[in-house]
Amino acid sequence: MEYFFQQLINGITLGSVYALIALGYTMVYGIIQLINFAHGEFFAAGGYVGVIFMSYLVSQGAPAWVCLSGSLILAMAYCAMLAVAVEKVAYKPLRNSSRLSVLLSALGMSIFLQNGLMLTQGVYDKAYPTELAQGGFEMGNVMLSYMQIFIVSLTAFLLVALNVLVFKTRIGKAMRSTAQDKIMSALVGINSNRTISITFAIGAALAAAAGIMVGLYYGSVRYDMGFVPGIKAFAAAVLGGIGNITGAMIGGFIIGMVEIFAAGYISGEYKDVFAFVILIAVLYFRPSGIMGENVDDTRV
Amino acid sequence: MKRLFMTALLSAALLMLGSGMAFAKTLRVGTMGPLTGPYAADGNDIKNGVLTAVEVFKANGGIPGFDEIEVLPQDTACEPRQAVATANKLINEGVNGVVGSYCSSATLPASEVLDEESIIMITPASTNEKVTSRGLPYMFRMCGRDDDQGAIAIKFMKDKLDAKSVYIVDDKTAYSQGLADGIEKMSASAGIKVLGHEHVNQGDKDFSAILTKVKTDKPDVFYMSMQNSATGALMLIQAKRMGITAAILAQDAVYHPQLIEIAKEAAENVYLTFGFIDDNAPAYKEFYSAYQPKFGSPGAYSGYAYDSAIAYLKAVKAAGSTDPAKVKAELMKLDYDGATKHIKFKANGDSGSNYIIRTVKNGKFRNYWNPATDELY
Repeated sequence: MEYFFQQLINGITLGSVYALIALGYTMVYGIIQLINFAHGEFFAAGGYVGVIFMSYLVSQGAPAWVCLSGSLILAMAYCAMLAVAVEKVAYKPLRNSSRLSVLLSALGMSIFLQNGLMLTQGVYDKAYPTELAQGGFEMGNVMLSYMQIFIVSLTAFLLVALNVLVFKTRIGKAMRSTAQDKIMSALVGINSNRTISITFAIGAALAAAAGIMVGLYYGSVRYDMGFVPGIKAFAAAVLGGIGNITGAMIGGFIIGMVEIFAAGYISGEYKDVFAFVILIAVLYFRPSGIMGENVDDTRV
Repeated sequence: MKRLFMTALLSAALLMLGSGMAFAKTLRVGTMGPLTGPYAADGNDIKNGVLTAVEVFKANGGIPGFDEIEVLPQDTACEPRQAVATANKLINEGVNGVVGSYCSSATLPASEVLDEESIIMITPASTNEKVTSRGLPYMFRMCGRDDDQGAIAIKFMKDKLDAKSVYIVDDKTAYSQGLADGIEKMSASAGIKVLGHEHVNQGDKDFSAILTKVKTDKPDVFYMSMQNSATGALMLIQAKRMGITAAILAQDAVYHPQLIEIAKEAAENVYLTFGFIDDNAPAYKEFYSAYQPKFGSPGAYSGYAYDSAIAYLKAVKAAGSTDPAKVKAELMKLDYDGATKHIKFKANGDSGSNYIIRTVKNGKFRNYWNPATDELY
C-alpha cells in the first residue's frame, strides 16, 4: 500500500508538469487551430532563464522565496515575450496560408530555438541550485518532498488563475470569441491579433513555469529537454480534447499517472508505450478526446 | 598558338600546385565522437583531448617532414549511420589516422569503413568487447573492456560491500545494457541475488517509479548503468530524495565532472568502476597543465583521447611516414608511461584494462579500492 501511495505521489507530480505544458498547446490550438511544435522549446527556455537567474540570486544570498518567485516571474515574462516574437515572425505571416505551411513553420521554429539554446548555452547540462529543493515529510515509508508540494500547489494556483482569466475577464472573453470566429469578433471590435499574441504569451508563461519546476525537481536543465515533454504534453492535450482547457489538465494528469504506474507495476521500458496506448484507445472510442464535447463553449 | 600558350599556363599551374603540396606536408588526424546530442559532453572531451595532444606534441618538436598537424573533428551523434558517414567524410578529406569514437555502437560500423582504406583508428572510449575481437588490423583501443569492468564490479560488491542482493538499472544502449546484462549473469554465479533488472528510456528525466521499486525491494547494492553522466546525476538526486540507502555502484560512462556538478551532495559516496589514472605521473601533469587552462577539468575520456593521439603521433614520427603498415609496426613497439596508463598494445589492439573502484568524497573523485593489490586508498 505504501508502494502504491508513493507511486501516486510520483504520478501526480509528473502529471502536473505535463498539464502545465499541455495548456499552452491546447490554448494555441483553440484559438488559431495551430499545433505549436515550438511549445516544448518555451519550456526549455524557461528552465534556462530560471537556472541563470536563480543561481545568481542564490549566490547573492537571497532568501529561498525570493529566489523562487523572482526567477519564476522573470522566466515567465521572458518566455511570454519570446512566444509573442515567435508568433509575429513565424506564424502571423502565414495565418491565411494552408495549415500545413504553418505546421512546418512551427517545426522549423522548434529546431531553430533548440539549436539557439544549444549554441548560446552549450551542450552540457546546467545544474540548478538544488539546495532550495531539499527536505520533505516521511509518512511510514512514503516520501513527500517539499518540492513535490510546491510543484502541485503552484500548478493548482496557475490553473485556477488561468480559469479566472479565461472565464471571468474581458481578455478571456475576447479569447473565447476569437476562438469561435475570428472574423466576426474582429467585426465587433475585438483586436484579434492582440488576442492571439496574448494567448501565445500565456501558454508560454505556463510552460516556462513548468520548465523551472522540472529544473528544480530533477536538478538540471539541458538544451534538448523540451522535446520529450513537449510530445507527451501534446498527447495530453489531444487526449483531453485539443482546444479544451479542462481537458488538457485532465489529459496531463492521466499521461503522468499512466507513465508512473506502468513503470512501477509493469516495466520502466514500456511506460511510454502504455501512455500512448491509452491515447490511441481514447481517441478510438472518443475521437474528440475526453472533454471533446461542447468544445465551442469552453475552448479558448 | 593560343592553345600552346594555354597548355603551358596550365602545366605551369599544375606544377606549382604539385610542388606546393610537396612543401607543405600536413598530417591529418580525424576525431570522431558525439559533439551534439545527449553524449555531447564526452564527444567534446575527446576532441579537446586530441587538440591538446597535438599542441603538446608540436611544442615538443613536432614531426620532422610535416609542417602542420591538422585535427579534423567529426560529429557522430552516437548514431551508427552518421558514424559511417563521418568515417567516409574523413576518408575523402585524406585523413591519416583517427581517434574515436565514443559509443561502441558508432565505433563498430565506422571502423569497418576506415579499415577498408587501411586507416588506423584508436578508440579512447569504446569498451564493448567486439571492438577488438573482430580482428581488424588497424583497430586499437586505449580504454578498458566491458568484460573486465563487470568482473571488477562483481568482485567489489562481493568482497568489499559484502552484498547479498543487487538491483540493476540500465538505459538500453548497447554499452549500458551490455554491461548490465553481464552484471546480471555474473551476479548469479557469484551468489548475489538479482532483485530486479529495469530499463529506462534515453531522454527520461523522471525515475521516481523505478526508484520507488528499488526502495521497496531494499537491495544491498543499486547498480546504475547509464550511458550519460548527466542522467546518472539526475538518478542520484532522485535516489537520495527518495531515501534509498543501498550502496550505489556505477560505471565509467557516469564518471565525469558533470556528475558532481549536477548531483552535488547526492553524488557523495557513490562508487564507480574506472581505469586507474595516476594524477601524480609526470605525463598526466603535462597533459593536465596543457588541458585545464583551455578546456577546464578533463572529462572522463579526455586523458584517453590525449594518449591515443600522442601514441599515434609518436608512431608516425618513428615510422617517418604515414604508411599504415609502418605506423602500425611502430604502434606495436610503443612501451611508455602515458598520461592515463602504461601504453603497450597487445596483438589484438587492446591496451589492457586497469579498472579500480573510485568514489566521490567531499565533491571530488577519489581512488577507493584497487582490486589488483586489494589496497584501500
